[in-house]
Amino acid sequence: MLATDLYDLRKTLMQSGVMFAYSGYMTEQVRLAVGETLKQKLSMEEADTKTVRSVFAVFVEQMQNVIRYSAERVPEEETPEVTELSFGILTIGKEGNEYVLLSGNLIRSEDTERVSEKLREIQGMNHDQLKRFYKDKLREGPDEYSQGAGIGFIEIARRASRPIEFDFAKVDDRHSFFALKANI
Amino acid sequence: MEPLKIPATSNTPEVDFDFDQNRFCLKGESHPEDVTAFYQPVMDPLEAHLGNHGDGTCEFVLEFIYFNSSSAKIVMTLMDLIDEAAEAGATVNVKWVYDPEDDNMLELGEEFGEDLEHAKFELVAQESE
Repeated sequence: MLATDLYDLRKTLMQSGVMFAYSGYMTEQVRLAVGETLKQKLSMEEADTKTVRSVFAVFVEQMQNVIRYSAERVPEEETPEVTELSFGILTIGKEGNEYVLLSGNLIRSEDTERVSEKLREIQGMNHDQLKRFYKDKLREGPDEYSQGAGIGFIEIARRASRPIEFDFAKVDDRHSFFALKANI
Repeated sequence: MEPLKIPATSNTPEVDFDFDQNRFCLKGESHPEDVTAFYQPVMDPLEAHLGNHGDGTCEFVLEFIYFNSSSAKIVMTLMDLIDEAAEAGATVNVKWVYDPEDDNMLELGEEFGEDLEHAKFELVAQESE
């Protein structure tokens, strides 16, 4: 049973083309370590330099997005000596010739409208508009949703070969699950 | 002033700032764990130096393979510092070296170079090794 169950989980992932899957607490240390392994794996593939770097860039932004904004974190109360851990999921795989990166985390339900508004705006932009928006946002500085420059989503959209996809699923009274997909 | 040299790591660029020669290079990848912790000790002395630069010549070589969106903010700040020094009378040459196999870096060079009104900006394709 033990091996069968675990093998089934692995099979489900592999059947959907997933080559990396991480579900759990994410930190910068995890991002850096997984990132190095991802780079190694990508360098063994036949993909061109630009694709490889774009996959890596999207991975970095998605992972940092979870680390910064996941609403599922321990400890729940801020304690100065303890580094917070954020929970999330991230997979990297292939669909045909394209790389696909999926990331997900809980967000507070009241934030869903703001996040989807932001993402819909990005979805509707072509490459040149995204370039301009990226620069404008860098100039503007952080907005109310972000600790960072709030341009992670724009960076993901710029690197993606088609419009990014996103979705929300209600989890409980206070939280929704946020999923983000980018193809490269 | 002592040169500032920091070797590259898998997530931070090589820093080679020669204040006496007025030659400043950043080379490699930039996606540090903590952008402020890495860049503050690099940008603070540069800002102080450029602020007192006067009308000499200085050269910047920016050879990024990749930088994440948090580092992009630093690149923008750097461009502002460079242009202020040039506006104040210095002759500043900026070389943005990109990998010809990755036009993302060329595109970012064009975008960031656009902001320079007083410094001289040049996009240079990296020679293949």
